[in-house]
Amino acid sequence: MNAIITARPASGDRPAITWRAAGDRYVLIEYGEMKLDLELNFFVTSMAAHLAASPIKGLVEAAPGFRSLLLQYDPATIGRGDLVDAVEEVHDAQQSVRSLVIPSRLITLPIAFDDSESREAVRRYRTTIRQDAPNIRDNSNIDYIVDYNGLPDREALYATVTGTEWWNAYTGFFPGLPFMFPLDPRNAITVPKYNPTRTWTAEGAVGIGGPCVAIYPVEAPGGYQLFGRTLTVYDVLARHGVFQDDPILIRPGDRVRFERVSEEELLDLRTDVLENRYEYAIEDDPFSVAGYLAETSAMQAEAERLRIAREAAAEKVEVP
Amino acid sequence: MSDRHALFDVVSPGLQTSVQDYPGRLGLQSKGFFPAGPVDHLAFRIANALVGNDPGAAGLEIPMGRLRLRVLADTSVAVTGAEGSGITLNGAPLPMWETVRVVSGDEIACSIIKGPGFRLYLAVAGGIDVPVVMHSRATYTMGGIGGVEGRALSKGDVLHGWKAAAPPRLRVPMALRPPLVNDWEIEVMRGPHADPDYLTEQDWKDFVGRQWKVDLNSNRVGTRLESHRFGWARASGGVAGGHPSNVLDGSYPLGGINTNGDVPVILGPDGPTAGGFTVIGTVVHAGLWKVGQLRPGRDTIRFREVSLDEALALAGRTDYTTNPHHFEEL
Repeated sequence: MNAIITARPASGDRPAITWRAAGDRYVLIEYGEMKLDLELNFFVTSMAAHLAASPIKGLVEAAPGFRSLLLQYDPATIGRGDLVDAVEEVHDAQQSVRSLVIPSRLITLPIAFDDSESREAVRRYRTTIRQDAPNIRDNSNIDYIVDYNGLPDREALYATVTGTEWWNAYTGFFPGLPFMFPLDPRNAITVPKYNPTRTWTAEGAVGIGGPCVAIYPVEAPGGYQLFGRTLTVYDVLARHGVFQDDPILIRPGDRVRFERVSEEELLDLRTDVLENRYEYAIEDDPFSVAGYLAETSAMQAEAERLRIAREAAAEKVEVP
Repeated sequence: MSDRHALFDVVSPGLQTSVQDYPGRLGLQSKGFFPAGPVDHLAFRIANALVGNDPGAAGLEIPMGRLRLRVLADTSVAVTGAEGSGITLNGAPLPMWETVRVVSGDEIACSIIKGPGFRLYLAVAGGIDVPVVMHSRATYTMGGIGGVEGRALSKGDVLHGWKAAAPPRLRVPMALRPPLVNDWEIEVMRGPHADPDYLTEQDWKDFVGRQWKVDLNSNRVGTRLESHRFGWARASGGVAGGHPSNVLDGSYPLGGINTNGDVPVILGPDGPTAGGFTVIGTVVHAGLWKVGQLRPGRDTIRFREVSLDEALALAGRTDYTTNPHHFEEL
């Protein structure tokens, strides 16, 4: 028996498609090759939006990954073969990924760097889990992120975080947790994850693991290197109106821009959120892949130069 | 008919007893929610069928036992699932797998579950009424939603429910009761990340060929198996990470056998919705209930590979046992 159900090679701008068995109620579609190529995720995001807007009978949900879609289906309503055929029709009807305009919102969030809650999470880790963790200096992961990427100082890291929009490739692991990648390729930094993982992280903490930046939606264990804190992004009690219809702030395909504030300001804003006085800065702003590619093509050479320099710096830094 | 009444006073909550419904929260995985709901969906649905409920109505999942309830209404209950709980009604053995009449003032109690099996399910006529949160009453503690205030039961909780007409008294025939053992055979399908491109053919043969011990550290999030050295078809995970079990993150199936590093974990109903590790096999729907009865630190599993057609045929047979028309009338 084969885990691969069927596969199609890439054609034009459409990535290669591999269908994989995942039990009798799911199938996994993988797109393209295993590389960090945002175009693959744009294709995934667009497919997920199409499948949500024009549902296939028997398809329970299409849940995105970085370069994959997991389809859950009801076998009493649709057979696997018919599901593959129906989704392949949607694949074929997709325009070239390079001409897609993806529903997207630009969400601007305040961030306080090196905040005391993140420092507390790191301090607890150092005192109760791993005292000699190389990713901790002065109860913080920030200098480690700086060194691992060969950045000159903390300010350079903060500028890297605030200097790009972060693309939410998918939401998951915990409810409402966004997995975000920089749209400006020059701001692509990377860092190894904790080893072992942390048992506590504050709600609203912002961290990076591998190339991906995440916001912790709930108090949770975690493995990302922490560098700051922002506002609430998940509230099932809907204490703020923005969560009235959906407890999750950041959807797949949304972008986040961080604006630096002091910790004091952040805490005031967090209180304003709780008391429903704050207005989240959310702007409907469909995302044009063509526009994005045109804008970033001139940046690629510099991005590549930076990537090589960051890799060289990383080699000199101990991995946790 | 839809009048509420107080059903149970929780005298002793047991260990992580929770309100669940079935199939839980579907269609919310892309927001980061796994479905929650009973780990043993079969015993849960049978318990509901015995009290005349919709098979998915909210009831209790009782892992490990040690629950004590004071009954606050005249109604009917049914208890299914693990053996060896010593469950009693007013001190006398409470018959499992059948409709049992109870009256206000009765006491239902069980001790630590000895097994075989690990979870009891208790359904009550009309179902338990807790607020519906995101389309379901199922408790999901990490998200803080469902059930009683998004948490397991505590001493002093009073559970309410809907009044219902007394259902006919039924019993599940012996032949239809799900067989509980200590050494399990669980049906899986290969993939999504199996041979030839992620595992070697030998890795898969080893996976289905060996007996796996269920780790003590297993719960609704996941059932951990023992560490195992796979050969892996790839030298490394490439851009996704150093280890060949690493992939660029994707969404996980319920029942997926998620292999992080060298440790396979069967993803449970409260599991992570996505992550960056291979899923080498997936427990099929008809085999999933068994995961709810695995005893951590004691039971063993052998996986049996089935085809899609076989998985669907098995699911049909499993669903047959939840139909009250096949039960005995008392």
